Amino acid sequence: MLENYLPVVVFIFLGVAFGVGLTLIGWLLGPSKPNEEKNSQFECGFPAFEDSRMHFNVRYYLVAILFILFDLEVAFVFPWAVVQSGLGWFGFVVISVFLFLLVVGFIFEWKKGALEWE
Amino acid sequence: MEFEQILFYLFSFWFIASSLAMILSRNTAFSALFLILSFFSAASLWLLLEAEFLAIILILVYVGAVMVLFLFVIKMLDIEDSTLRAKFTGYLPIGLGVAVIVIAEMSLVLGVDQFGLDVVPQPIRHASDYSNITELAMELYTIYVYPFELAAVLLLIAIIAAITLIHRPDKRAKKQSIEEQVNTQAKDRVRLVSIAPYKKKDEQ
Amino acid sequence: MTNNFSFEINSLLVALPEIFLLSSIVIVLIIDLFLTSKFRQATYYLTQLSLMVTGILSFNLIGHPETVIFSNSFILDNMASVFKVFITGSSMVAMVYTRHYLLQHSLYRGEYFVLVMLAVLGMMVMVSGYSMLTLYMGLEILSLSLYTLIAIARNRSIAVEAALKYFVLGAIASGLLLYGISMVYGISGSINISDISAFAHDPSINSRDTLILNFGLVFLVIGIAFKLGAVPFHMWVPDVYEGAPTSVTMFLSTVPKIAALAMLVRILVDGLGSMHDYWSDLFLALSLLSISVGSVVALMQTNIKRMLAYSTISHVGFIMLGFVTGVVSGYGAAIFYVLVYVLMSLAAFGVIIILNNKGYEADQISDYKGLSKNSPWFALVMLIVMLSMAGVPPFIGFYSKFSILQEVVSAGFITVAIIAVVFAVISAYYYLKIIKFMYFDESDKDETISAPMDIKLILSINGSLILVVGLFPDRLMNISMSLL
Repeated sequence: MLENYLPVVVFIFLGVAFGVGLTLIGWLLGPSKPNEEKNSQFECGFPAFEDSRMHFNVRYYLVAILFILFDLEVAFVFPWAVVQSGLGWFGFVVISVFLFLLVVGFIFEWKKGALEWE
Repeated sequence: MEFEQILFYLFSFWFIASSLAMILSRNTAFSALFLILSFFSAASLWLLLEAEFLAIILILVYVGAVMVLFLFVIKMLDIEDSTLRAKFTGYLPIGLGVAVIVIAEMSLVLGVDQFGLDVVPQPIRHASDYSNITELAMELYTIYVYPFELAAVLLLIAIIAAITLIHRPDKRAKKQSIEEQVNTQAKDRVRLVSIAPYKKKDEQ
Repeated sequence: MTNNFSFEINSLLVALPEIFLLSSIVIVLIIDLFLTSKFRQATYYLTQLSLMVTGILSFNLIGHPETVIFSNSFILDNMASVFKVFITGSSMVAMVYTRHYLLQHSLYRGEYFVLVMLAVLGMMVMVSGYSMLTLYMGLEILSLSLYTLIAIARNRSIAVEAALKYFVLGAIASGLLLYGISMVYGISGSINISDISAFAHDPSINSRDTLILNFGLVFLVIGIAFKLGAVPFHMWVPDVYEGAPTSVTMFLSTVPKIAALAMLVRILVDGLGSMHDYWSDLFLALSLLSISVGSVVALMQTNIKRMLAYSTISHVGFIMLGFVTGVVSGYGAAIFYVLVYVLMSLAAFGVIIILNNKGYEADQISDYKGLSKNSPWFALVMLIVMLSMAGVPPFIGFYSKFSILQEVVSAGFITVAIIAVVFAVISAYYYLKIIKFMYFDESDKDETISAPMDIKLILSINGSLILVVGLFPDRLMNISMSLL
């Protein structure tokens, strides 16, 4: 079974080699003569280094959480798609009940206005 | 050494190294990124165990979605490094002591004596047309149908919980509603009220 | 791509209470979305109706022959049915107080009732769980609903803090439980309780298998002890009891204890009963610690919810003591104790909720000063509850403690019984302190407390049950003894 994944391994190694190699070449061969003027921001631009933490609105978080829930749902439906013909009507009913419960959740979400951005 | 073994040691090394880096890193955002790396290494290890579905799900759900949530939380919180470190070193001796005892006990119970290849038979490698997902699905939707439907209930609770705790229904934004503007009529906007003339009593 | 799996639609009949409850959850959730604020009380009545029908359906299944469905992951026996009736019944009682509390504190939301029903569903799944996976799923459904219920008062930072503490510690406990399950699964090759039991009872089991089972067992016991709130896994109990809105405290301190006990019986008695020698030592330590810490630390509390939290911890110690005995009658005594505890705790929190005035939590012990003059009836109920919790005859609390101690002594643990009695006497002090405040101290405010009729009625029935069942405990005792 594992031999199916050999191309993936080769791909990973090639990808790492490319990424590291190109960065290394740039770092070794490229000239680097920084001075104060070069490092300061241009006119009214942003400073190059500052704290990246800022307060997000909690609503982004709600969107992210709702995304995860439906992402997880996909994880449960995904194997069903593989064997769907072998399971017959029983499998169809099982997945329908599963999806029905999530649709109820979706209706709740919609009606509560959680999908609206004010 | 076989190629598979080389891969195993490589991924294990990355797994341990990135986990350590995650714990030791002072910047929480870096910690989250190291956690993603350790998830990748764990997924690779699972793949070597022929648990391909688990490996894919780990990357799809955890790396793809849960870590995004993690980064959101890290961005939302203003954590000062110094306060974190003070707590860290304060609890370090106790934590280290407990960890050493637990590791010692676990290695006694779960060591080679109990789970070595001379005690437990080596798992058989499957042929290239073997599908882990098919096997899993045939069990999941038949034998484990009850826990499977309960998983849907759990997801439903999570939806309700997330909306109940985070969503605030009050609308503060003054947004333009084009539909309302187009459909409006004069009589909705101006209300003519006829008031009978009167005089205040003390003026009479 | 076929396996020999067969499914009969008729077999679903034994899961009818769960199926009905889930359907009504969906219906109530949708209906609540479309209700205008004028009809919002409908959610409450629909919830009560759903819980009542679920209870009746469960009641009808009492006496049904033991049936296992869903490939050995769902069991219907008498214990499951009786526990389901008690779970739905006590949830209904808790809901009566809850509505009053929610309206007074402007926390009334339809989601609250839906989450309570989901928690009840989780508990019913736990009670009927016959595989580790089902038990775990039920536990998570219950816990997730409880975390949300606690944080539903999201403007009160103490409630959010309590929810977060409970969530983090609960997640760690779930992790430990899962680790234990994985060990037991790894060595026995199954997650079904019956298979695990067959594996553990096999006389040809070798020392390696016993070692790994024992290793997993420790984690299982820790997970269960956390959910019950036994020392040293009790740190969440006082903070959660204090921080949560009182109606949530009432719910989470009573009904889930029945479900946790059922999980304990399924895993440790049904599944790993042959390992009793190993886990009874752990239980002995846990119960003695719980009884002592619960009794002593409660003495210093000034907040009545915190005090009741520590009192719960010491009650849990007594419940676990019943499992140390290793005999069926001891387990029966523990079940009796849990049912009695639920009855007493409902009444205690009921009085606290009634004394809550608009937006004000009467959770300081000093708030009970002179209660007997302002509202003699509520004070009388509180008196009965406190005496019963302290274990004074003829109230029901006496018989629950007595039957546990009787079993412990007949199992040969005489020193343990003496220690338990000593701490029970110490704990009587703080119960009596409340009685002293209510009857012998002057109140600093002289307002009479009024409550709606339904609450008065429920509280009166609850209070008199503590007395009446205390006078005639045989019936409830027989039910508890017959469940195993």
